[in-house]
Amino acid sequence: MKRTLGIGLAVVLLVGVVTAVVLGQGGGEPAQLQTVRGVIGSEKLAFFADQRVKDVFAKHGLKVEVDPAGSRQIATATDLSSYDFAFPSSAPAAEKIQRDRKAARTYAPFSSPMVIATFDPIVDLLTKAGVVKAGPGYQTFDVQAYLDLAARGTRWDQLPGNTSYAARKNLLVTTTDPRDSNSAAMYLAITSFVANGGVVSTPDGEAKVLPAVSKLFLDQGYTQSSSEGPFEDYLSAGMGKTPLVLAYEAQFVDRVARGDSTIRPDMKLLYPAPTVLSKHTLVPLREPGDRIGQLLSSDAELGRLAATFGFRTADPKHFNDIVKEKNLAVPQTIVDVVEPPAHETLERMLEAIAKQY
Amino acid sequence: MTRRLVPALAVLALLAGCSDEADPSRPVGDATPGVLRVLAGSELADLQPVLDDAAKATGVSVKFSFTGTIEGAEKVASGAAEQGFDAVWFSSNRYLELVPEAQKRLGTPTKVMSSPVVLGLPAAKVKELGWDTKRVGWAEIAAAAGARKFTYGMTDPSASNSGFSALVGVAAALSSSGSALDAARIDAVAPQLKQFFSAQTLSAGSSGWLSEAYQRRARGEDPGAKVDGLVNYESVLLSQNQPEPLTLVYPSDGVVTADYPLTLLTSATSEAREAHRKLSDHLKNADVQRKIMDTTHRRPVVPQVPLDPKFAVKDLVELPFPGSQSAVDGLITSYFDQLRRPSRTLYVLDTSGSMQGDRIEGLRQALVGLTGADESLAGKFNRFHGREQVTLLPFNSSAQPALKYEVPTNDPRPILDQIRTTATSLNASGGTAIYSSLRGGYDVLREQISADPDRFTSIVLMTDGENTGSEDIGNFQVFHQGLPQNLKGIPIFPVLFGESATTEMEQLAKMSGGKVFDARSRSLTAAFKEIRGYQ
Repeated sequence: MKRTLGIGLAVVLLVGVVTAVVLGQGGGEPAQLQTVRGVIGSEKLAFFADQRVKDVFAKHGLKVEVDPAGSRQIATATDLSSYDFAFPSSAPAAEKIQRDRKAARTYAPFSSPMVIATFDPIVDLLTKAGVVKAGPGYQTFDVQAYLDLAARGTRWDQLPGNTSYAARKNLLVTTTDPRDSNSAAMYLAITSFVANGGVVSTPDGEAKVLPAVSKLFLDQGYTQSSSEGPFEDYLSAGMGKTPLVLAYEAQFVDRVARGDSTIRPDMKLLYPAPTVLSKHTLVPLREPGDRIGQLLSSDAELGRLAATFGFRTADPKHFNDIVKEKNLAVPQTIVDVVEPPAHETLERMLEAIAKQY
Repeated sequence: MTRRLVPALAVLALLAGCSDEADPSRPVGDATPGVLRVLAGSELADLQPVLDDAAKATGVSVKFSFTGTIEGAEKVASGAAEQGFDAVWFSSNRYLELVPEAQKRLGTPTKVMSSPVVLGLPAAKVKELGWDTKRVGWAEIAAAAGARKFTYGMTDPSASNSGFSALVGVAAALSSSGSALDAARIDAVAPQLKQFFSAQTLSAGSSGWLSEAYQRRARGEDPGAKVDGLVNYESVLLSQNQPEPLTLVYPSDGVVTADYPLTLLTSATSEAREAHRKLSDHLKNADVQRKIMDTTHRRPVVPQVPLDPKFAVKDLVELPFPGSQSAVDGLITSYFDQLRRPSRTLYVLDTSGSMQGDRIEGLRQALVGLTGADESLAGKFNRFHGREQVTLLPFNSSAQPALKYEVPTNDPRPILDQIRTTATSLNASGGTAIYSSLRGGYDVLREQISADPDRFTSIVLMTDGENTGSEDIGNFQVFHQGLPQNLKGIPIFPVLFGESATTEMEQLAKMSGGKVFDARSRSLTAAFKEIRGYQ
């Protein structure tokens, strides 16, 4: 999720060497694993590093080596020539890679909706303020109502009847840095859609929404460059620091699924209405990369494992099983989902915001 | 016996690593397996016992080299940090991330612990202010400060992160807008900020010295005026129990919190990367987090560890931090040029014959560096500030005429140029009449103080050798004891240089509540820059 590339490229995960030997014994002779290299959005790193995932690939004779990088970086700056596949975290980034590299097809095996993680007292306050509403089986965060409050520069302590969180700071969702991060770009996709009354697709539309959406970032001041930063603050520093934090649903679900008690009972998820899906989209660059895309989309075991990391999979069964097993308070389907703008439009708006810092 | 030996050996190894290394760009040596070379803020020194345990548990030992926040940012931005370090560890990455050249060199951060910057006052003072029964915001604190209902000490925001966070916090809170600061908003709250800083009567380049000076003054060991409280990290204030524990005032409208991210540099090798990962995992282990909380009074970052009751306020509102380097730099510049009490600095400078050659040239450069010639990030903030009274008092066999300047806030250039011209024309000849010259300096200060008492006043004494004048340290001591309180309390900052009489210089620092700065193993420029944090 970080733009900085150096780190990502230096880290090479050696996947499946041990597995190969172990499994090979079962098969009578050591298996010759084919190494497949990919560059991936960093939030999937834990998935690819998981031993159970490595084992599944080894069963298919594959060893997957991945370098993590920011999704926007993969689309624009990474030299893809040494990779068999690219696996950014958003559809617009994948769309650009597919076009640039003339890839015949793409796979979208996982997705995760953008959510807002918050706390009970904030939910109560924002319900009174008309921002949080009861949705179809889950609570929604009304983006239009939020934009109205933000446009007026509303501070928490200005909300009527607010005694539980009278902070003298602006009512703003904490995001990552729009100059660096995919999740901030997804947030821009949501807010620009609402500010424009539909997906932004023209220069006029960009000009129309920029003042309002820029403010959502600029008024936060300093923001962190990777989505783990604000989410960890949410978990540890709590409501004082981050009353509302933009996150991937997978981040929250992953924590609950781990059962490490980092998610406390007063922590709540809100689904922006509308929201966008962060579609983890694999673009095959060479034949072995295509096999990874096929396996991720079709192998039930990989799907089940992906769900334990909080991802929604092509077959909804895997995610729903986790929801049931862990008794998660998340909806099986989210109704109000919109498409992000085209890659070029999104990038132009991000550039325009970056210039104002 | 064997168990006791391990830490001892580790310390030896650490010392060896520091002293053997001739290359200044690699102060803690070359990349070594199992060693994480870390450029860090000095306040992390208190984590050493935790890191010793970590070395035993993970096989990864940390070698620290300490530097200030702004200087550290500069080293990362220029790429110098990559030459000798694998990671950086400051109280916060916020400033670093605002400098684009530094930001792109930062890799994975692991936030290890946290501590907000708050105000600590004696319990009786808190009661007197009526703050024991209700929580107050920064505006009320600033108003009480403006009315001089209390005084406090704080570190220099350009040299130390606690001062920096306090400055950002109070500015953000006083700006009623509630969003991040920009230049216009800073100007709008300048009057209130000025009130708040008018009660700052002690400044220091480091948190450690600030606490020591505060304690010495409270016990009457320093001649300087007593200071009521301190603005510092909660962790420092909680460990401050001399002469009495402080009561912490947590402003209701918010704070700025240090979160101590142990951050890999993108240039790190895969071994260093692995070491960083192991160490990070270890430090976030619940037992280790508990130990950090117990021993360093910093808050844990893993939710599994419940907060100790010593942290009186649990849920703290975090104030927005500026989003651009220019806003932060503007705030620091305003602090020096407009907001804080102005400085009065007297430089008593040895221009005797022994200073000839490289030494006098070094002195000229050190002074010129403070006139704005130093274009580094830190140099920008270290220059003589707007409103500052600067007096150069060169001496050899006797004191030369005092050269007095006052730097205007608007258009300081012509005066700074004059100081520069004076500095470059300093010449070395004659004897070394240290004490009569220093005594003469008090005549200058007496006059300046009676005309304008409310300033940070201090003396820098730079000499490269033994006193050859007829007055000696004994005579000076008698003179100093007879001074009225407002002159006696002026700190002297002697600079060790050449063949300085170390013991005498230490005596001067002690009797005046000052501090000795060593320029024998580094340039005078570096020492003069460091002293700026105390002026």
